Parts: sequence; C-alpha cells; structure tokens
Amino acid sequence: MIEAQGLTKVYGDKTAVGGVNFTVQAGQVTGFLGPNGAGKSTTMRMIMGLDTPTAGRVTVNGVPFARHVAPLREIGALLDAKAVHTSRSAYNHLLAMAATHSIPKKRVHDVIEMTGLADVARKKVKGFSLGMGQRLGIAAALLGDPQTIILDEPVNGLDPEGVVWVRNLVKFLASEGRTVFLSSHLMSEMALTADHLIVIGRGKIIADAPIRDIITGKGQSRTRVRTDQPDQLMHALAGAGVSVEVQDYELLEVKGLDPRQIARTALDHHVMVYELTPLQASLEEAYMELTKDEVEYHSLITTGAPVPAQSGGHQS
Amino acid sequence: MSSTTLDSTPSRRGAHTADGAAPGGAGRPAGIGPGPTFLRVLNSEFIKFRTLLSTVILLASTAVVMVGFGALSAWGTGQFADAAGSDPQAAEAIAAQGGDLAVTVPTSGIAFAQLILGSLGVLLMSSEFTTGMARSTFAAVPKRLPAFIAKLVVVMVSAFLLTAVSTYAAGLVSVPILDNYGLKLDLGSAQSVKLLLVNSAYVAAVAAIGMALGTLIRNSAGGIMSLVGLFFVAPIAFQLIPGDFFVEARKYLPGNTISPLTAVEHVPETLEVWQAALVLGAWVLVPVVLAMVLLKKRDV
Repeated sequence: MIEAQGLTKVYGDKTAVGGVNFTVQAGQVTGFLGPNGAGKSTTMRMIMGLDTPTAGRVTVNGVPFARHVAPLREIGALLDAKAVHTSRSAYNHLLAMAATHSIPKKRVHDVIEMTGLADVARKKVKGFSLGMGQRLGIAAALLGDPQTIILDEPVNGLDPEGVVWVRNLVKFLASEGRTVFLSSHLMSEMALTADHLIVIGRGKIIADAPIRDIITGKGQSRTRVRTDQPDQLMHALAGAGVSVEVQDYELLEVKGLDPRQIARTALDHHVMVYELTPLQASLEEAYMELTKDEVEYHSLITTGAPVPAQSGGHQS
Repeated sequence: MSSTTLDSTPSRRGAHTADGAAPGGAGRPAGIGPGPTFLRVLNSEFIKFRTLLSTVILLASTAVVMVGFGALSAWGTGQFADAAGSDPQAAEAIAAQGGDLAVTVPTSGIAFAQLILGSLGVLLMSSEFTTGMARSTFAAVPKRLPAFIAKLVVVMVSAFLLTAVSTYAAGLVSVPILDNYGLKLDLGSAQSVKLLLVNSAYVAAVAAIGMALGTLIRNSAGGIMSLVGLFFVAPIAFQLIPGDFFVEARKYLPGNTISPLTAVEHVPETLEVWQAALVLGAWVLVPVVLAMVLLKKRDV
C-alpha cells in the first residue's frame, strides 16, 4: 500500500506536484493517468526516495522507502527504461542490483527468462530497442520479488505482444495480492489494465475512483436520440440537470436522463423516436471531461500564478 | 509468464486484500529477506566496476604507460649517467640526488597514471548520473552513502593496487636496461619500497578526488576538466602569475605534494613530509565529504 499525504514537489517556481493525497491499495492494479508533465514521474520518484518532497510525505506499507530494511524486496520500480549503464550487459546490470540484497543468481536468470531477455542478456544494453529496455526495467523491478510494484509508462515502446504481456503480468501480480501502481498517458491501455484510477493533471489529483465510475462519469450518462420531431422533443425534455445537444438533422444527444425517462417523455408528448442508444463514455472522453474542468478552473482563478507545465523538465 | 515469482506462496496469495485495507500491508511477514549491508553493496560496486569494458581498458592502458615510461626512463637515465662520466656538471647533478638516479625510474610514469586513474574516478561516478544508472543504484541503496563509500573503496583500492603492480612491473623491465649502463636498481631497497607505496597511495588519493568531483559535477567532461585543471593547469598558472602569494600557494596544490612525500631528504622551499601528507589528506577529505553531503541531499 502506498500512501501520499500532502505530497509536494516544487522546482524553482514550478510546482510539479502540488500537495496530493492518495492511497494505492494492494490487490488491484491502480492506474496513474495524466498527460506528459502532469507530475506522474515526479510522484513516482518521490515514492522511491530519489527526489525529496518539498512538503508532505509518502510511505510504502507505512514506512518511507529509504527506511525499509530491504528496499528492493519491498518495492520494485521501473522508473525509466534508461536507468542502466548502457555499456554493461543486461545480465551484469541485474547481477549488480541483485548483489546489494544477496538475491541469488538463480533469481537473476529467472527474471531474465520471465521478461523474454534470455537471447540478449549478455549483450550491452546500448544496442537494446526501447521495448527491450522496458523489459529489462521490468526485470529489475521484479528482481526482489517485491510486494509493491511501481511501473512508469511500462508499455512505452513495446510491441503489441509486449503490451499484452505487461497487461497480463500486472493483473497477475495484483491477483497475488500485490500493490501495483502503473502510470501511463495512454487512456485506452488504462481502460484495459487498471482496476482503479488516479488521474493527475498539473500536479493535482483530479480523480481517484474505480475505473468504472470514471468511465460512467457518475450520472453523466448520455443517450443518442433520433426523432423526426426534434424541436418538440427538446422542449419536452428541457428541465433541470438535462442538456440536449442537436448533433445533426433529427439527431440529439441527451445528458442527464436515462433512455427509459426519454422514452416516457416522448410517449407522453406523442413524439416518435426511432433510435434510442445509451452511450458509454470512453475513458478518453471521461478524461478529457475531467481535465477540461481542471484547465478552466486554473485559468479562472490563477491569472498571475505560474503554471506548472513540466514535471520532468529538471532532469537532463 | 508461467511463473512470475519464485515464491508466489499460497499464503501470500491467500492474503486476500480485496478490501485492500489490510493495515499497512500487515498481512505480510516483516522479515522478507536480506537488505543492503555494506559488504553486499561493496560486492555490487565491484561487479559494476569489473563489468565495464571502458574500466578494463583504462586500467590496462595505465599499466602499459607505467611500464613503457619506466623502460624509457631507464634508457634515458643510463644515457645521462654515461654523459656524466665526461661531464662534471652532470656528475654534480647526480651527486645532488644522493647519487641514486635509478630508484625513481619505476615511478616515472606516475603523472600519467594519476591522470588516467583520476579520470576513471570521475567517470565511475559521473556515468551513474549521465546514464541514469544512479536511479537504479540509489533505489537499491536508498541511504546512498553506503553506495558512495563502497564505490570509493573500490576506486581507491584498485587505483592503489594497479599503481603498485605496474610500478613493480616497470621496475622489473628497468633493471636489465639500467644494468647495461652499469647502474644498479634494487627493487627491494627501502627507498624503492617507499616510492612504490607512497606513489600508489598518492594515485589512490587522486582517484578519490576524481570520484568526488564526478559526484559533485555529475558530468564526465566537466569532472575530468576540473581534475586536469587542478593537477595540470593550476601548477603552471600559479608559476606564471607573479607575486609571493602564488609562490606560496603553489606548494599547497595537491599535485605538488608528491615530491616532498617521496624526497629522500627535505628540499628547501617545499613542504615538510607531514605537511604534505596533511595537505593531500585535506584535498581528499574536503571534496569527498562535500560530495557525500550533497549526494545525500540532492535529488537523483
């Protein structure tokens, strides 16, 4: 379990992460979603004790990362596929990491096998493709057989087969009761992988809910309606919390009412309806909806305040 | 992905955390296996040290340079001694050195050894940051200082041993060459042993300064340039700048501590042996401590 309380990171006059609170539970895949520069990587580096928070704290299983007796056995992280000396072979990289915790060579061979690196393990990392680099990073994260796994953009650069592999891997790890915290800016991938979603934008948590809740948008269900009397139906449906949008000739999109209520209203007003389709928002749309509010909120109240644009901008 | 873990034990799988609220992950045992002790981190740093081809190349080239310069110097010293037979001035110069020119022959390549191994010290740390390896290193050893100290031990011990071994090898090559000119070199003499040990320790100190610079600057080119500036440019610049201050300050440069440390007798206008040892020690200690403080403090 990962718990962040008031976690803040300020670089100069840029607030990369602005006092976030969240909890990542064990036994499920928690997605950490946000656009590039939203503060995902900074947050993950703070979890791993690589960056010191400006304020607030973050603990893993109740203890700050650096205080764990055997950190690699507690938390495994893929923070950056390039966290490797590229002139060293993958095997030797893992061997050196394993040596710090007396992790046996057999485990090194196991994670190499598991991540499909057996053929290239003795080659220098310099020649690795992005996908192979990701696999090496995941191998390193699994080395200590940790209870908590943090993966920053793990599917970046992976081929479709690799993407499916990562998806199954993280689900399997979570099914074993482990804490899996996975960041991505790919919403479609999150929709398929994550059980719970923490959405971050501009260093602030925008949403923290089960993925189903975010997709359905909590009452923001929409319905596509086709009728040959759109004007009459619009007037009939008008009311508090209901919005009707004319999308095309005889095509309406209704928000705030479910199909049954729309059909009832149409029947009452003798309006013929020839299509009534409930629309489920994609995660993409849900996300756009969430971040749109965040952006408007910002431009509304912070005219003079600096806008945190880049979280990773400090690192070269 | 048949088996993801070595010990996906039923107990762990059985610890159903669907409610997720198992307080602080209390469902798992506290002792989960060995963590990073200093010896383990030292082992890890040694694996990192020996698995880089560039390190091996730098070490080998140091040995080649030391032996090569030893041989060259043996030949040159022989020529000089021959000339001294017919040149009273040269004979005087030899007498001033205690009559034993041959003893310094094995360590004549030391200036290059310190440059190469000092740069190696810079590189071993700066490359951690330039490649991103530091994130892996300090995720495994989040207390950071054990990793720094382990690396420092590896760097200093390897610099010392390599200098000692190649000095001895240079000596072995020089003995027959000097013999041709009728000069005797006893590698077992007290002064020979002292030169070997002091020079090796000195190179280890330079490598430590290099590693501290690599940690502070986090950039290979910048670190090596600083090292070269300190050991090669500053002594020349201090000589060129007029003024008593620079004449005095020049003695305290780290590169100028080696001659008082190895002199048979104290040469006027240089530091005493104990002073030179203290100055060199300070040149190592200050950057190393500063590097450790900042390494602990800064983000990786």
